[in-house]
Amino acid sequence: MEDDNALEEREEELSSIAAIFPELELDDKEPFRARLEIPVELASPLRVCFPASTDGEKPPVFPTPPSSEDDGHARSGKESSRSELQTHDLCFLPAVRLDIALPHGYPESVPPEFILHATVPWVPQATLNALQQEGEKLWDEYGHSQVVFGYIDFLQQAAERAFDLASGDLAMELPGSMRLMLLDYDKLAKRRKFEQSTYDCGVCLEPKRGSSCYKMARCGHVFCVSCLRDFYTSCINEGDVVSVKCMDPSCGKDPKLTSKKRKQRTLGPSELLQIPLDNALVKRYVNLKRKKKIEADKTTIYCPRKWCQGPARSTKYPKITSFDNYADSDSEPEDEIQALPDIPPHDPNKIDRLAICEDCEFAFCRVCLAGWHGDFVRCWPRTAAELSEDEQASYNYIRANTSPCPTCNSPVQKTHGCNHMTCFQCRSHFCYLCSAWLDSANPYQHFNNPGTSCFQRLWELEEGDNGQGAHFDGPRAAEIAALEVLQADLHAEAEALVDQNENVVIPEHGRARQEAELFAEALNELHLRQQDEPAVRVPDRARGPVPIRELPGMNFRIIPPRRAGIERFIEMALNDEEDAWDSDELDDSDDDFANLR
Amino acid sequence: MSGKKRIVKELGEITSSPPDGMRVRLVDESDVHIWEIFMDGPEQSVYSGGTFRLVLTLPKDYPFKPPILAFQTKIYHPNVSNDDKGSMCLGMLRSDEWKPPNKILAVLNMARNLLVEPNPDDAVETGIAEQYKSNRKEFEKTAKDWTKKYANAKK
Repeated sequence: MEDDNALEEREEELSSIAAIFPELELDDKEPFRARLEIPVELASPLRVCFPASTDGEKPPVFPTPPSSEDDGHARSGKESSRSELQTHDLCFLPAVRLDIALPHGYPESVPPEFILHATVPWVPQATLNALQQEGEKLWDEYGHSQVVFGYIDFLQQAAERAFDLASGDLAMELPGSMRLMLLDYDKLAKRRKFEQSTYDCGVCLEPKRGSSCYKMARCGHVFCVSCLRDFYTSCINEGDVVSVKCMDPSCGKDPKLTSKKRKQRTLGPSELLQIPLDNALVKRYVNLKRKKKIEADKTTIYCPRKWCQGPARSTKYPKITSFDNYADSDSEPEDEIQALPDIPPHDPNKIDRLAICEDCEFAFCRVCLAGWHGDFVRCWPRTAAELSEDEQASYNYIRANTSPCPTCNSPVQKTHGCNHMTCFQCRSHFCYLCSAWLDSANPYQHFNNPGTSCFQRLWELEEGDNGQGAHFDGPRAAEIAALEVLQADLHAEAEALVDQNENVVIPEHGRARQEAELFAEALNELHLRQQDEPAVRVPDRARGPVPIRELPGMNFRIIPPRRAGIERFIEMALNDEEDAWDSDELDDSDDDFANLR
Repeated sequence: MSGKKRIVKELGEITSSPPDGMRVRLVDESDVHIWEIFMDGPEQSVYSGGTFRLVLTLPKDYPFKPPILAFQTKIYHPNVSNDDKGSMCLGMLRSDEWKPPNKILAVLNMARNLLVEPNPDDAVETGIAEQYKSNRKEFEKTAKDWTKKYANAKK
């Protein structure tokens, strides 16, 4: 009778437990045995750390080598546990398994048998033992009645508190071998919980399953994937990359933070891929971001090829080949652009002049913007500070009395003879007047073509080029032309002054001196301008002779108030009113230009 | 895109429980992108007694782009352009400040709060803003006059 009753009671208890916990596994073979997994989901996260060594071995790396044995040991031990051990806050830990057996005589006279087993041994056995004993105590407290549900409830509450294994802020130490497993478990469980929850997307205002939502990595705001995709796709397509941030209005607006810190950061490409956005779009995003940075950087040098104009390769903004090498942008604040260090004033001897266009791979000189001429060529313009007085004088001389070789740019001076030149440096044959390459087999044909600018001028300047100005300027043409404009401009100003005030007369003999001064002045001014605008693009013009008539349209920034003076100069030049120094060249270059076409 | 669905949802919320002193409806029942709002001048403001008609236009990529809010009734206010457009451009209405989760209700409440407390530091009408700051009495007088004249205030 009694037996039957107890049998029934045990059966009844287990079936009601099974109704409450559907995951309860009943033992098929032995009656009154069951198994239940107690999940560990913590109310507040458990701080854990994984010491590298557990058996008193030296940790693999000491933060600082100990100075003396004793002192060092004590200190490094402390320090290593602090600095080397990363702590992790876990919310989910592997479940604890509870085996239940209700023996004959339960609940009246025999206590239930509870055995606890940690599926991953993160709970110390001593703790499990203590918990097991609680079962019997509870059975006593309940006055020997059905206790299984009460015990499970007790265990669940204990699990929520991580079985009281954490003490205050101290991290719980666990063997390093469990590290990956526990971290993975926590991550997966969080993910699973996220996917099973429901969120109200603030954009489409619809409740969405977590599985179709995404949680922003930095701030934790949740939006539905389709809204995120729509928004970021539209931002990136419109080129508005600075808006690729968390959409939440309060995000990045914490008044407690300083304005700099408050600045919201844009998302990194890896996060966009996780949402997920299309690969091609993310690629466009990183490229746009990089382009913006390159363009904001005043030190960027662009390819002098007019059809290319790509930026020169730079270590500061490496070309993006995969998203991996762009990982650093994940955390970069938007205002970093301004914080970029300016290139320090360079040592003239050390400046690396070789620049290579990252788009067309053209190698060029970042100083003179001509094709790369090797390390040992002195090129122009350089900064005025780089030139000594002697160098300046040499340059002035070179400028006034030489033509550059069309092949290697070496300054070539004709001392006497015909205008068929052979470069001392590279043995190119060329015309001294127009720099055309000449056929070494028949170099003089160039001077025998009627209608060309050099027709029958083989013997011009037979006595050599002594600054008569008939030489070809080559890559320096633009600079020289600009100087001439400036010079003429100053002339015009001086003349205007004379007109205004008859008393001030510039004596004719003083004029030569004045011009020399003007020249130096103008040169200086040009240097200053070049420094102000490092990206002035002249090389396309520098490739050929520059007709003076074209001057007003040139790339050189001409200060507007002076424009009137320039126009006047050109008018005078055309009417041959001014000195003879330019009229000759004017005709030449015009013809040249016509020939080139 | 989910834009239209969201607009309908917002319209439903606002018409079923309209914010204080406002009546909202569509200008044309077939177009959810243009809303008409009648806003009473708040009691404690110089616009009290007047009723202002506003038009809220939702761009086709709303909520990714901010709505456009304009006063159709002439109003003397530093943050409302004094022309036939009556446009406003401040705070969350600016495209660089707009965030998609912002709602129309918040936009309307912002407009109403501006009637109570203009924001002269972010003004479109600098003259009015200047007056608001330096000669509040004169400002209030004109604002009240205009409210009477254009917004049908009784007194």
